[in-house]
Amino acid sequence: MTNNKIILKINNIKTSFKIEGGFYEAVDGVSINVYENEVLAIVGESGCGKSALAYSIMGLHERSKTMVEGDLLFKGQNINDLTESSLNKIRGKEIGMIFQDPLAALNPLMKAGHQIEEVLILHTNMTKNQRYKKVISLLDEVGIPSPDTVYQQYPHELSGGMRQRVIIAIAIACAPSLLIADEPTTALDATIQGQIIELLENLKLSKDAGVLLITHDLGVVAEIADRVAVMYAGELVEIADVKTLFKTPQHPYTRSLLNSVPSVSDLQSQLHVIQGKVPPIQHLPRKGCRFKERIPWIRDEAHESHPELHEVARNHYVRCTCYKDFYFQNVTPREEKPNVYTSST
Amino acid sequence: MVNVQHKNLDDQAITSESTPGWKVVWREILYDKVSLISLILVVCIMIVVYGGTIVLEQDEIVRVDLFSIHAPPSSEFWLGTDYGGRDIFGQLIIGTRNSLSIGILVTLLSGVVGIIFGLASGYYGGFVDNVLMRIVDFFMFLPNLLIIIVFVAIVPDYSVITFALIMTIFQWMPIARMLRSKALQQRELQYVEASKTLGSSNLRVMFREVMPNLSSIIIVTMTLQLAMNIGIESGLSFLGFGLPESTPSLGTLVSYATNPATLESRWWIWLPASLLILILMLCVNNVGQAIKRATDARQRRV
Repeated sequence: MTNNKIILKINNIKTSFKIEGGFYEAVDGVSINVYENEVLAIVGESGCGKSALAYSIMGLHERSKTMVEGDLLFKGQNINDLTESSLNKIRGKEIGMIFQDPLAALNPLMKAGHQIEEVLILHTNMTKNQRYKKVISLLDEVGIPSPDTVYQQYPHELSGGMRQRVIIAIAIACAPSLLIADEPTTALDATIQGQIIELLENLKLSKDAGVLLITHDLGVVAEIADRVAVMYAGELVEIADVKTLFKTPQHPYTRSLLNSVPSVSDLQSQLHVIQGKVPPIQHLPRKGCRFKERIPWIRDEAHESHPELHEVARNHYVRCTCYKDFYFQNVTPREEKPNVYTSST
Repeated sequence: MVNVQHKNLDDQAITSESTPGWKVVWREILYDKVSLISLILVVCIMIVVYGGTIVLEQDEIVRVDLFSIHAPPSSEFWLGTDYGGRDIFGQLIIGTRNSLSIGILVTLLSGVVGIIFGLASGYYGGFVDNVLMRIVDFFMFLPNLLIIIVFVAIVPDYSVITFALIMTIFQWMPIARMLRSKALQQRELQYVEASKTLGSSNLRVMFREVMPNLSSIIIVTMTLQLAMNIGIESGLSFLGFGLPESTPSLGTLVSYATNPATLESRWWIWLPASLLILILMLCVNNVGQAIKRATDARQRRV
């Protein structure tokens, strides 16, 4: 993995949103590299700052209400301080993005084919005829059975899976070297999820591109990710390659997440629930271990006062020292389940 | 090359025929007999009026003829003459053309200005929005009658075009406001972000992505504005602040009725013009309402 070229070097990125006059960090000092020919998954609950990170990379945040500090070195060039127009030369051409809700991300009044063609108009000098052929071959590449028909169809005439394929076709049209997939399977049902994942995996292999996959679906992660970064409350709490992470998770948050995945085979067992919820960004604990309040049974001394990433094994990083003392508390009995919610408030 | 298998039939293309927008509008108009008749009437009036002006000469019609002052309708003057002996029927045709032209011109001009202002302030939001909306507010506060009177007095070579421009100054704000509120909604939708990730510039997103999605609202607002503008033009001309007598409009014809003798005993001068204003405004409004219903699935009758 480390032999590969770095495509995107995320260096101490802080994204803060303006809320009622003050700025609050949704992403707080994230540093990680995305390599060529690799799928890096970022996982975490809703509200952990995953999407905020993706939007920061794409420069999609509204500049008047958001502050993005830090460096985003894309092939050595810092894209964080680029102007809108120079960023437009990179977006779509070198970095592609796949959105969560394929219906919302497509313009309802434009034919699917024309939406793909749009990228080619913006970034290539192809003639109309060449573009048409390219669009058809792209539609074919993303596994759409009748490209000519779909070319002429509007988004509402396509099924969910087809729409997501069109989105992917748009994202890969210019063969970008970085693909950001923001929860690409969340809005789809299970069988189509499988197909889309397979498609993403094949695309990565054929194009040498780095993929930044943002998801909360650990199944998806296990399926296609090479490396996983676990994000909690704006910080990366654990980074490891996918096998290590699933076999020997260290950080309490990672372990709780893995523990709370429902299992189909084991119908008897209780579903593990992580106590409480991710605090809203105005109330994030700014010092100490951010996960502390959700594992109150762990003694205070186990946490670091300024938690840092520790390399516990080769290329396996864990934040804070609380992982050493962590154990799961007894499973909450079913009758008392509502208590999980009351105790969090 | 990638080879993805299609295990799921569910994922095959769903080929449903979608009805294009104009077909929905046409169906709605066909279904609603009132608006169908309205549309036919408007089209007939436009053909007669614009066709008639090819035959009739404005200068010929507004020439004073002292031998036939206040002549009642006859075979020579179909609708009689006014106090200058001028043919009312000819004036009616020319006047309707002028009124319609002004109405259409004002609607188009104020549409263009309103669309640019509304889209820009809604799409950019924040500071831009604030500045543009204060400009809109400023124009709303202006006493429009007063300023139109001043313009009428100072603008030389006063014609259909100049009058349309003056009216536009006071007519573009409603469209701008309407579009701003809709653009504010649209820009929050993800397809705008998605389009940005392709590297589209703001202008491109605004005019190629957001505007087409607002086209139904634009068309509806502009049709309803057309009816209103014809009314406003007639009103201003009636008050004497519109077109001069040498350029007749529906309003000038009606304004002859300010003379009590004309109002009481010479109906042929003002009645046809009044009826025509009524018919035009009602018809355009009806068509506009039908288009409005067609663009909103919940209001559709078909």
